[in-house]
Amino acid sequence: MDNIYYPRDAVLTDIKEETPTIKTFCFKLDEPLFFKAGQFMQLTIPGLGEAPFTPSSHPGKLTEMEITILRTGRVTDALHYEVKVGDHLGLRGPFGKGYPLDKFKGKDVLIVGGGVGLAPLRSLIYAIFDRIDDFKKISICYGAKTPEDQCFTDEFKEWEKKPHTSLHLTLDRPHPDWEGTVGLVPCLLEKDIIGVDIKNSYVVSCGPQIMLKFVTYKLLEVGFKPEQIYLSMNRRMSCGLGKCARCNIGPYYLCKDGPDMCYADIMDYPNVFE
Amino acid sequence: MNIFFLPESKLRNLIETLMGRGRLFWTRQKEKSITIEEVDEEYIGDYKIPDLRSYDTFKNFILPLRSKVAEYPDEKWEDIEETPEKTVLFGLKACDVIGIGLLDKVFLDDPDYIDPFYKKRRESLILISSDCSSVKESCFCDLLGNTPYVSSGFDINISPVSEGYLLEAGTDIGNEILKELSLSKADKKLIKERDNSREKVAKNLKKQNTKYEKPFAKDLSDIVKEGYESSEGWALGSTCVSCGACTNICPVCYCFTLFDRVDTEGKKSKRFMVWDSCQYKGFSQMSGGMNPRFPMMERFKNRYYHKFFRFHDRYSEYKCTGCGRCIDNCLGGIDMREVLANIKILETISG
Ligand SMILES: Cc1cc2nc3c(=O)[nH]c(=O)nc-3n(C[C@H](O)[C@H](O)[C@H](O)COP(=O)(O)OP(=O)(O)OC[C@H]3O[C@@H](n4cnc5c(N)ncnc54)[C@H](O)[C@@H]3O)c2cc1C
Ligand code: SF4
Ligand code: FES
Repeated sequence: MDNIYYPRDAVLTDIKEETPTIKTFCFKLDEPLFFKAGQFMQLTIPGLGEAPFTPSSHPGKLTEMEITILRTGRVTDALHYEVKVGDHLGLRGPFGKGYPLDKFKGKDVLIVGGGVGLAPLRSLIYAIFDRIDDFKKISICYGAKTPEDQCFTDEFKEWEKKPHTSLHLTLDRPHPDWEGTVGLVPCLLEKDIIGVDIKNSYVVSCGPQIMLKFVTYKLLEVGFKPEQIYLSMNRRMSCGLGKCARCNIGPYYLCKDGPDMCYADIMDYPNVFE
Repeated sequence: MNIFFLPESKLRNLIETLMGRGRLFWTRQKEKSITIEEVDEEYIGDYKIPDLRSYDTFKNFILPLRSKVAEYPDEKWEDIEETPEKTVLFGLKACDVIGIGLLDKVFLDDPDYIDPFYKKRRESLILISSDCSSVKESCFCDLLGNTPYVSSGFDINISPVSEGYLLEAGTDIGNEILKELSLSKADKKLIKERDNSREKVAKNLKKQNTKYEKPFAKDLSDIVKEGYESSEGWALGSTCVSCGACTNICPVCYCFTLFDRVDTEGKKSKRFMVWDSCQYKGFSQMSGGMNPRFPMMERFKNRYYHKFFRFHDRYSEYKCTGCGRCIDNCLGGIDMREVLANIKILETISG
């Protein structure tokens, strides 16, 4: 019988530096792994433990996977400083539901990311580009602290070239020659900047909890309905299977029912943005 | 359903027959406490089935405090096979049997993920339950719609009657074992006697919990959900010291964490599934210092919220058997009945 706690072997084939604190780890898998954009994996460093991450790579790539990781603690420090190309790490998953792309059909899609939060969204962006005619406007908003803290900058030009797609960037602390927006992510969400048809759109957002909170409030302020907002919620996780019971908001387990939750479903429960 | 009569003198035969089926653990009255321990062959002759539930729970037999779930010896993760030994649990009470049924919902009846270790351990168990013949102050199974006896979930159930016991099989294995004992069928008079004693115990229980009947008649999931901000009931939790005794002693609290470590020779990495508790500060702690349940009261409420709302939302049952062990063991002296009875649903002003 399948051991649900047992990770599959994943060989590290490359490590790319995105920013001083964020790296992308590339894995080769010996068997194809199907995942939907937004579903996440538990990545194991043998002997050290697991941590949950959402792949940043194209969901159509079945034997290769990229995961983009911010250094922030035990497991992620070891990933940044100790593991080497060729190491065997472990992966469990995919877990969660993934983004409800079919629901977004025929609508504008507003994608709002902050910091390393663009990583899971990149996978979604690839999935959307695969079937771009299913959607109307695609508007990607991304904020980072400084120019050095932006991920995936080398892909931005390509994204902007896609039909009916626009990219909006903001920096908290830009260099003097920066001509774009300055400020936190919500400042990109003024009606005239994002240019989506608010009534006929969905929003997907991923980033630090505090950003999600203010993005949500801003979205509501400019006229989005809670039903239109999907947030990648963060909770401490362990099993990924809806069993260990720690990743809950209200009646939901983020690992099983999320991690991307429709704001309308969670807004009335305690501690949503705590 | 066939019900058989086992004369007092043949209790030994039953126990010895069961010992032939696996390692037997029984509940035993020891001074003031009822323990769970491996059968003591020299004591079988003097053995009496305790009137009440044991002090500890049987949870450890199905969901051990710590169990290995994976191993990483060389370059590849190695799947591990666990073959649990056949085990007979003797003397479970209704609340113990119901508790196991609730754990099954999470680890066994889940259409998405079955826990293979749980499944094997569960299949290796033979459950011998027995009716309660008295009640403890902290018992409140009745308030949750349960009775101090069960009609399913066991392999064999034992009901004490005058000069012996009535035995009832709940499964094929139970039937097989009863056949081996070649007992005679119980006559109507004895069955009537059993029903009367059951009723008597149930009545005593009802009497002791009368004052909680009204609040418990409400939908408890509504109470914890809609009353989340109520100060009255939750205020009783202010003496909680977050020790986790309540979740550890609970037959149905199953929260766990996966924990990896390297063995002492530094060669093998192992993954363990270890009990955790939502009452501990670290339970929901995330890196960067975020913690949705940092204040003690949020953690205290979570236990109730999970038991009566979240679990109920998913499995249509409360994650509580009413065994009262959390009441007996709480360092803060908190009585779950009092808390639930005192939560007020705030009326929202409408219009
Ligand atoms: C669904 C989801 C998707 C995510 N996607 C991404 C992503 O794409 N990119 C990204 O950068 N971040 C992502 N994160 C955040 C990421 O999971 C955390 O940054 C990460 O868990 C931090 O782990 P750490 O060990 O470095 O931090 P720590 O703060 O050291 O540890 C985090 C927790 O894990 C526990 N832990 C540590 N070691 C062990 C062990 N041996 N056994 C058991 N528990 C242990 C610790 O007790 C601690 O509370 C995601 C989070 C979620 C929930
Ligand atoms: S046993 Fe009592 S004091 Fe300890 S965590 Fe539970 S409620 Fe709090
Ligand atoms: S991570 Fe265990 S229940 Fe969600």
